[in-house]
Amino acid sequence: MRPLDWAVLLAALAGIVLYGVWKGRRTRDLDDFLVADRRMRWHTVALSIMATQASAITFLSTPGQAFTDGMRFVQVYLGLPVAMVILCATAVPVYHRLKVYTAYEYLEGRFDLKTRTLAALLFLALRGLSTGVSIYAPSIILSVIMGWDIRLVILIIGASVMLYASMGGARAVDNTNFLQFLIIIGGMIVAFLTVVKLLPPDVSFLEATHVAGKLGRLNAIDFSFDVKNQYNFWSGLIGGCFLALAYFGADQSQVQRYLTGESIAQSRLGLLFNGLVKVPMQFFILFIGATVFAFYQFTQPPIFFNPVAAERARASAHGPQFRALETDYAAAFGAKQLAARGYINALRSNDAGATARASDELNAAQKRANAVRDSAVEIIKEFDAKPSDPNYKPSDANYVFLNFVTHYLPAGIVGLVLAAVFFASMSSTASEWSALAATTVVDVLRRLVKRDAGERFYFVSSKLATVFWGAFAITFAQYAGQLGSLVEAVNRLGSLFYGTLLGIFLLAFYFKRVTGTAAFAGAAFGETAVVACFMFTKIAFLWYNVVGALVVVAAALLVNPLTKERGKG
Amino acid sequence: MKKSVTNTTRARDESPPFGGSWTKAYAVVLLNLAASVVLFYLFTRAFG
Repeated sequence: MRPLDWAVLLAALAGIVLYGVWKGRRTRDLDDFLVADRRMRWHTVALSIMATQASAITFLSTPGQAFTDGMRFVQVYLGLPVAMVILCATAVPVYHRLKVYTAYEYLEGRFDLKTRTLAALLFLALRGLSTGVSIYAPSIILSVIMGWDIRLVILIIGASVMLYASMGGARAVDNTNFLQFLIIIGGMIVAFLTVVKLLPPDVSFLEATHVAGKLGRLNAIDFSFDVKNQYNFWSGLIGGCFLALAYFGADQSQVQRYLTGESIAQSRLGLLFNGLVKVPMQFFILFIGATVFAFYQFTQPPIFFNPVAAERARASAHGPQFRALETDYAAAFGAKQLAARGYINALRSNDAGATARASDELNAAQKRANAVRDSAVEIIKEFDAKPSDPNYKPSDANYVFLNFVTHYLPAGIVGLVLAAVFFASMSSTASEWSALAATTVVDVLRRLVKRDAGERFYFVSSKLATVFWGAFAITFAQYAGQLGSLVEAVNRLGSLFYGTLLGIFLLAFYFKRVTGTAAFAGAAFGETAVVACFMFTKIAFLWYNVVGALVVVAAALLVNPLTKERGKG
Repeated sequence: MKKSVTNTTRARDESPPFGGSWTKAYAVVLLNLAASVVLFYLFTRAFG
């Protein structure tokens, strides 16, 4: 990090905290704190929604995912636009007209108190745990780059968010999310343009893209159907739609964002903008990773992108063996670079036979380089967190983009991209804490513990609840490092609960005769089915949402005739 | 007067600022998704 990078990073961080505090300075009551007085325009709602979903994990792991596994991850988002349309047509008008603070309030009117409480507690458990992971991701970056103690980094990020989220509530969160997201996208565009510019002068961008494609990094769509594979068109469209319905329709951290819209139309426009932009945006972020992969076909990459893990291996008893592998890897890279250039020359010659032969040589060179790297990873595995798991393989996917940024981007731009990563973490974290506070106060404290205590009491309690959840997330973040791949960890955690949560809301919106008791029983069956899938089957986690939601609905419909109540729909 | 404001608010809620109806707005989002899938398929075919 050069002085200019430090200046950009520190100015950005201080600036956003001050901006958040300033924007939230007039927050005076509960309505203002929890739903920004319902006065937000669609563009603020839209970008706040996107900033909430796009955590630092998105901007660190996603390019790394494309680098190591290709672009097929984009298919996870294919169901999102469909979910946006469904929610705009059904949930948004209901939430707005009832003027609820949380999605779970609606469930009591529709069903009963126990169903509301169950959904609220599921949300608190799910989001309470995952918020720790959200804050952990950028903390790894800083601890690796700056050599700081990770616990200190987590504390600094957490304290910054806590300051403006606890003072200004939803108004501060939405406004900072809006500004942060613009800077995040700006940072990613600059990073992309820089990596394109850094390609060798004798290799065009299109040719480099062809090399990445030939090595399996541009596999954006796969129409084959396999429930064990989460990255195909069908898993993404169906499983992804259920996941998005649950996340945007039943997760308070997103519902709260569009509850701040000043009208149904403004909230709808915010969600529809997300539906229009999200898939292309994810494609773009993955494409950055694929372009970084192309860049490293012509520039020697490290054998392992996590510099701390690599250094630990060098310093170990296996150090000489690790260094020898690094030398072998450099030689394998040289051969692969020649093969890549040979493939490009074959493409230029328009000779199909020569192109096929060059393609085979390129893939063979890639396999040789991978074999050397795998040997190095075996050494690193001995020092990693889970050496006892025989199937565990250390991953450096989360470090690829970061490593590229710090080594190759010019002064000032490094600071900007790092600020973008910080902002990504801060925006999703702030939304989560704000939503957790809203649910704690509205659905638990005000409804179950202390009713009619007065507006002022709940307003102050909301601020204190934000601080509490912040402290909880900071503590949990200390242990998030043991969860494996960050992207999958967060999604998997969600998928264990989201299906059930979604099933309850599907019953509420579309099955008017179903009673609260039947919904509650359905939820119990649904969660049991999801846990059974997780423990005893190998189906991809995106399908857990489908299984959970459908079992909840089916079980509730079966139990419903046995209950004596009448549906309130 | 109050009734008129309420009606204006409801009218604003019920129609999008462009396109005339929410159905058309939803169609735009879904067509954009379909176009994205087609483009991703062509992209995969071209470079895969």
